[in-house]
Amino acid sequence: MSSAHTIRSIQDNIALVIKGKTHVIEMAVVCLLARGHLLLEDVPGVGKTTLAHSLARSLDCSFKRIQFTSDLLPSDIVGVSMFNRQKQGFEFIPGPIFANVVLADEINRTTPKTQSSLLEAMSEAQVSVDNQTHPLEQPFMVIATQNPAEYHGTFPLPESQLDRFLMRLCIGYPALEEERKVLDRPHSLHPAETLEAVLSAREVLALQTRVDQVHMEESLTDYLLAIVQATRQSELLSLGVSTRGALGLSKAAKALAVVRGRDYCLPDDIKELAPSVLSHRVMLNRTHGMRTQSFEQAERMVLDIVETVPVPV
Amino acid sequence: MPFDQAFALSSVLLATTAFSGLVLAQSVPLWLVLPTAIILIVSLLHAGGVLFVRRAMAQVTVSPTLWNVLLIGAFVILLIDLTVVSRDLLPAGIHFLVVLLGIKLLTLQQRRDYRHLYAISLMAILASAALTTDAWYVPIFLLYLLAAVWTLLLYHLTQETAETPAVVTPTSTAACQTTFPSRITHRFFWLTNGTAVLTVTLTLAIFFLIPRIGAGVVQKTSGEALRTTGFSDRVDLGTIGLVKQDPQIVMRVELPDQPAVEKDRLYLRGLAYDQYNGQSWSHSGTRQRSLSLVAEGTFLARPAGSRPSDSLLGTIRQDILLETLDTAVLFAAPFAELVNGEFLTVQADAMSGLHLPFPPSSRIRYSVTSQVPQLVADERTASILAYPDSIRSHYLQVPVGSQQVADLAHRVSQQATTPFERTLAIQQHLLKNYRYSLETDTATLSHPLEEFLFTRKTGYCEHYAPAMVVMLRTVGIPARLVTGFLATEWNEYGGYFTVRQRDAHAWVEVYFPHSGWITMDPTPTVSAAVATSRWESIRRLGESLRLQWDRLFVRYSAKDQLAVVHGVREGSDALRERVSRWVSSLSAPISQVLSRLTRMVRTFQPGTLGLVTVVMVVGMALLLLMLRDRIGLWAATHLPTAHPQLAIVQLYTRMLRTVERHGLSKPPAATASEYARLVEQEWKAAGPMVANVTALYLQGRFSRTPLTPGELSRAAEQVGRLQSLTHVAR
Repeated sequence: MSSAHTIRSIQDNIALVIKGKTHVIEMAVVCLLARGHLLLEDVPGVGKTTLAHSLARSLDCSFKRIQFTSDLLPSDIVGVSMFNRQKQGFEFIPGPIFANVVLADEINRTTPKTQSSLLEAMSEAQVSVDNQTHPLEQPFMVIATQNPAEYHGTFPLPESQLDRFLMRLCIGYPALEEERKVLDRPHSLHPAETLEAVLSAREVLALQTRVDQVHMEESLTDYLLAIVQATRQSELLSLGVSTRGALGLSKAAKALAVVRGRDYCLPDDIKELAPSVLSHRVMLNRTHGMRTQSFEQAERMVLDIVETVPVPV
Repeated sequence: MPFDQAFALSSVLLATTAFSGLVLAQSVPLWLVLPTAIILIVSLLHAGGVLFVRRAMAQVTVSPTLWNVLLIGAFVILLIDLTVVSRDLLPAGIHFLVVLLGIKLLTLQQRRDYRHLYAISLMAILASAALTTDAWYVPIFLLYLLAAVWTLLLYHLTQETAETPAVVTPTSTAACQTTFPSRITHRFFWLTNGTAVLTVTLTLAIFFLIPRIGAGVVQKTSGEALRTTGFSDRVDLGTIGLVKQDPQIVMRVELPDQPAVEKDRLYLRGLAYDQYNGQSWSHSGTRQRSLSLVAEGTFLARPAGSRPSDSLLGTIRQDILLETLDTAVLFAAPFAELVNGEFLTVQADAMSGLHLPFPPSSRIRYSVTSQVPQLVADERTASILAYPDSIRSHYLQVPVGSQQVADLAHRVSQQATTPFERTLAIQQHLLKNYRYSLETDTATLSHPLEEFLFTRKTGYCEHYAPAMVVMLRTVGIPARLVTGFLATEWNEYGGYFTVRQRDAHAWVEVYFPHSGWITMDPTPTVSAAVATSRWESIRRLGESLRLQWDRLFVRYSAKDQLAVVHGVREGSDALRERVSRWVSSLSAPISQVLSRLTRMVRTFQPGTLGLVTVVMVVGMALLLLMLRDRIGLWAATHLPTAHPQLAIVQLYTRMLRTVERHGLSKPPAATASEYARLVEQEWKAAGPMVANVTALYLQGRFSRTPLTPGELSRAAEQVGRLQSLTHVAR
């Protein structure tokens, strides 16, 4: 089966559950192929968890879900070292992070301390407990969800942590017809549970390697950098995109190329991904007195900036 | 060599050839030649990439303000030159041109500067074409053409490359240069030279064709000769009146030796008539005399020893361009001495009328030297003149029953004592007592003359002149009727008379034994009142331009062309000979060819060469402009480029330009696919083509593998279809 077919099948699979959200599904797959982590930010009940669940289900991979609460401890995520009487020594008991796909539900409900325990795992794909480093399984992907509507008892993610997510997506309410389809479905089983895996971990890794081989023409790199430069020089933003952000955009663009069945990037890939990949990495100059900036505001800002950068001919 | 460098080099070479042309024309003083030559050499070295020159030039930076000041200074000097020193536009203009050339060469930076340089070069080569007859001008001119072709092509190509930047960001300028290093390849080199040769060949072909085409077009209805009246064996009264309102041009008469005086009127004599039967005029004698040939193409018109030379007013030389008429008469000012033209034979009748054996089938050009007779002083006062018998027998005949006319003549001239006074009295009588009018139809009357003199008292030249002739004869003075043209329309721009059908005229020649036939005109000069409005003068300017065209191209007859072909062929024969006797004789045939070329150039009018230059350059530019799209398409798909992406990018840019002409320009921040969707929405017809080209472009531009030639030509085909779509839309 060709890679385009494989990817098509996984998208179709997820689409069985998440109705009418092909773009979000595609972005999630892009995230997976780009070895990135995904932040889903939306009001409750639009299918954030279900999306993560279906993605994990579609892969023949291990899947863990961590419900973040205010009393969650770092060890609840990465695992603990316990004394083993028989072996006369400490033994590491891996936490739920040791899985291929980890769903970090309501990530902003837990304390910064616990949130930062995710940090190392997300960027280095390894955890260190008691001076011991434990590599995580590959592929490894964190899908975090957070609820922007409630602010009581939440701890907004620090910039450093936000930067580690490749993309921030908003799912949004489904269209009326799609919503009807959701209601018409039999309720006996969680829909994601019915999904069958279409992709093995090995195949995912192969696809990820393929992404690395995607050709990005020199002028496209320049275009990407021009966009990043523009966010740094923009008067609307107090914080521009980091180099990690630029790297992430490049990776995501390559992944999107693979998803679309190409082995080379187009300017459209970069332009299309820029809002999702960059908007959570910038800080608006004026947030109109609000503590946190709204998702749409940042996305619009990034879009505006992208529209000022000439596309190479 | 990269395009940029080649472009600069060819531009400077263009300027160099133009400058050499000027120097060759010896129109540039030495003090101007030296610095300009130095500047040219430095510019050549600079453009050629000689390192130390580049470095030295980079050190010298002069502010643009200084150049502007210099320029203004040069202009002031031009004004001084124009008014005080040279007092002529051409030398002063050339000095200014050379200074301008030097300054431009030193300030070549933007493309605009290059364009200025080309304009200056063009003017320089034109000026030199107008001034030189040197054989060396030919190779320099050919070099100029070669350089011009190179420059035009490279200008276009570098422009194209400049218009397709990789990305417009500060970081990308370096990347851009490395992405598209366009260099001159072998194929490109030969292609361009081939284009130059083709251009010259085409232009020469056109140059040879234009006179042929001109013969058909300029001469209006081909094959149909202008109908004239009054120049046959018999002239009925009233026929000239029919053409008196026809503005059709019959001939143009230049007076090359004549200073700018007496340009108000010129009698161009056609035929004379001596017999009048009361209805019509005719020749009595039919004796034709072939003129003797004194040199090639030159005929002696004056019967030997016919007139004493002291009675001559002066010599008038006329260059006449005669349209195709239905008469064989050659018109000339009275009386022709020498006729020069490409005729096999010219005949003269007994009354000095010149004509060819048969009417010419095309317009003809000939020149005539005439001696204008003047009345000898003592014949003004002599009361009795002794007329020879031959004159008396021919020129005193009057129709039967003209007693009434005779009475009038006697009454009018009874005061006068001498024949000359009688002549004047009759002329004055006719001038004063009769009204000029063209609305007089006497052709059908049985006695037109009596009708005019006694009943209507209105008429025009065809009534006045015969009346005077008959009246003179009744009082014993030999006279004859002459028909021809009275040229009154002087074209001050071209320096010639325009003669129209309506200038057809009849007048009188009166005989005096010692002076010969003296021209007298009893007709009031009403017809000479030509409106001199501004329109008239503009029209005359156009007229003169047309004559120039005639002179430079249409006059370039088949015979002249054959002569050139002969010259070239003989030259090539000589060359072949030279090859066969390569060792023995080296110089003789070359000098033979050169001298032949010199002769060719000499026989050219300098203006011809200038005009040929204009035609060549303008034609070349037009050709390139017209074929720009096609050439670009072809070049994009066929020319080997250093970077395979360049081809599809050029095609895509071409497509963008085409769609932009339709009013749909691509926003800089829009990607190619977005733009294609926009076009799809806004301009449905172009949608599929744009979509196809865009798809190929995206693939060829951004993927690793370049497009195959098949895909490229498919893209080119789509762009071609799009272009034809816009042509249709326009």
